[in-house]
Amino acid sequence: MKAVGARLPRYDGIGHVTGRTQYVDDVRVGKTLWVKALRSPHHRARIVSLDVSKAEAVKGVHAVITHADVPKNVYGHLEGLGVPADEPLLAEDDVRYKGQPIVAVAAESEAAAYAAIEAIAVEFEELEPLFDMRKALDAEAPQIHQWGNVYPHYGPYNHRRVRKGDIDRAFDKADVVVQGVYRPQAIEQMPLETQVCLAVPEASGRLTIYSCTQAMYFSMGVVAAHLQVPLNKLKFVGGTVGGGFGGKVDTATDTICALLALKSRRPVKWRWTREEEMLASSTRAPWHIELQDAVTKDGWILGRRTLTLHDAGAYARFSPYGVTKHAFHHSGAYTIPNLRFDGFVVFTNRVPTTAMRGFGVTSVSFAVETHLNRVAEAIGIDPWELRLKNANRIGDTSGNGVVLKDPSTVPVTLAAAERVGVELPGSYRAMTSDPRTGELLPEHLVAQQKLNGEGAS
Amino acid sequence: MKLIVNGIEQDVASPPLTPLLHVLRDELDITSPKAGCQQGGCGTCTVLVDGEPRRSCLTALAAVDGAEITTLEGLGGPDSLSPVQAAFYNHYAAQCGFCTPGMILAASHLIESHGRPLERDEVLEGLSGHYCRCTGYVKIVDAVLAASRGEATEIEDLPVAVPGEPEVQPKGSPA
Repeated sequence: MKAVGARLPRYDGIGHVTGRTQYVDDVRVGKTLWVKALRSPHHRARIVSLDVSKAEAVKGVHAVITHADVPKNVYGHLEGLGVPADEPLLAEDDVRYKGQPIVAVAAESEAAAYAAIEAIAVEFEELEPLFDMRKALDAEAPQIHQWGNVYPHYGPYNHRRVRKGDIDRAFDKADVVVQGVYRPQAIEQMPLETQVCLAVPEASGRLTIYSCTQAMYFSMGVVAAHLQVPLNKLKFVGGTVGGGFGGKVDTATDTICALLALKSRRPVKWRWTREEEMLASSTRAPWHIELQDAVTKDGWILGRRTLTLHDAGAYARFSPYGVTKHAFHHSGAYTIPNLRFDGFVVFTNRVPTTAMRGFGVTSVSFAVETHLNRVAEAIGIDPWELRLKNANRIGDTSGNGVVLKDPSTVPVTLAAAERVGVELPGSYRAMTSDPRTGELLPEHLVAQQKLNGEGAS
Repeated sequence: MKLIVNGIEQDVASPPLTPLLHVLRDELDITSPKAGCQQGGCGTCTVLVDGEPRRSCLTALAAVDGAEITTLEGLGGPDSLSPVQAAFYNHYAAQCGFCTPGMILAASHLIESHGRPLERDEVLEGLSGHYCRCTGYVKIVDAVLAASRGEATEIEDLPVAVPGEPEVQPKGSPA
């Protein structure tokens, strides 16, 4: 315990306060070219024709790349976990969100790069887009993804499932059923440093990539996969990030810069404008969460039914993982012995969505905590009591079958009450995380504890 | 055209309408002013022009010909921190650090132009055009208040954690 509770110097503190910290955009390499991209002006369209010959002829242009220049164009962020690939680095046959990159150029100046983008001849056939995930499952909804509008690769299912206990019995035994719908919306992570990369071809044949990634080794793997080169051909320099908040987990710039550096044999830099960041960088997902709780008059939650729709945007990226995390947290910090959860990853023509500060978890925590207040109101019980009674305790089992050894719900809830100046009755304040006994071990939780005692999980 | 940047006179060759931000970053390689939004919105490109804070992304070179420009590099180096720099360091007021150049320059001007210790509301008002997306505002405001009171003029003697060194004693732990 050298660090907890101690005042330690920040290793980068002096650099930050003196302007010496070197972010990607501050790295200076001679003869660096500017990168710009042709992005889709449409939410959904077929690419009818694409001709970059005039762009290649623009003075000062050193490299132009399309899908044909990418050794492995279609890649999936979760391929390593067995999720199939679905997203092209550069669009080939169709575009599925406004701002999707189609062509990238590297040129002597920003102006020349823009001129080259203007010189590209591209023809689209616009198609009807889909924006509302709640309409994605309608029979007449446009099918916007090659897998249909729902991600189909959760083992044998097309959705993430949690099944625990006997959900129908729980609802039969309930005194009250409380329902609610919660719809947290998309948020742009909006780091002050926009997406940026500098790729430098080295004399040794390796590429040095100055990256703003939040996930260094992950980004390395993505670039190596698209380029079809071994990892030892890539040297990543990173760790200094001007804000990310989840928005720099997806690899936005590194791969395209790597390809342009190889093709032009010059260092290339791509720094997104604020407009590009807002238009085309991934956001936190919109969610649609329906909760149904089976509760008793004295404040026990017997069961919960959940339907979640997650808006992945145009491609899967990390969404299947985000919904899995969401599923694992859908009972919140509380013990509910009977659960039925169905979570769908839905495709729309919005920008692909990704991590942001608690990927998949903040959405369900918002829904669960708001819902608990609604439950407390419905049965006329103090919301603190409702939470403290149902709070996870040692020996309780989580929704995905983990027996809890060190849950912190009770002390955290008590500390939260203290910090906001709520005076709780002494009986609440005396509560601990200790295994349930007496009044805190009602009949509906006995079976679960017994199961744990027999070594099931 | 000429600029006096951090006390050094510089001849500059950029076209007259080039934003001062790009002159500093791309011609003079002075990189503490950041290209955050390039629309005058975020404040991280702020520099002092003849002592006044200006958004360098919206300031044309021609408009500041001959002016004295101060960037964060000119305020103080690692061995010569200004009181505001030291306060930001001591109060952990820089998280990712990308907004810090603009924050420190604006705060330095705010403190200097007031000439007396600031109130919290005055700091909030004075720095309202500067975004910290890490949402580290509380520590930033604490640092500016401390600096305005003349506190934290030197780097505190913080313990340094080095592997193998004797343990740093956590606060409140048994001796």
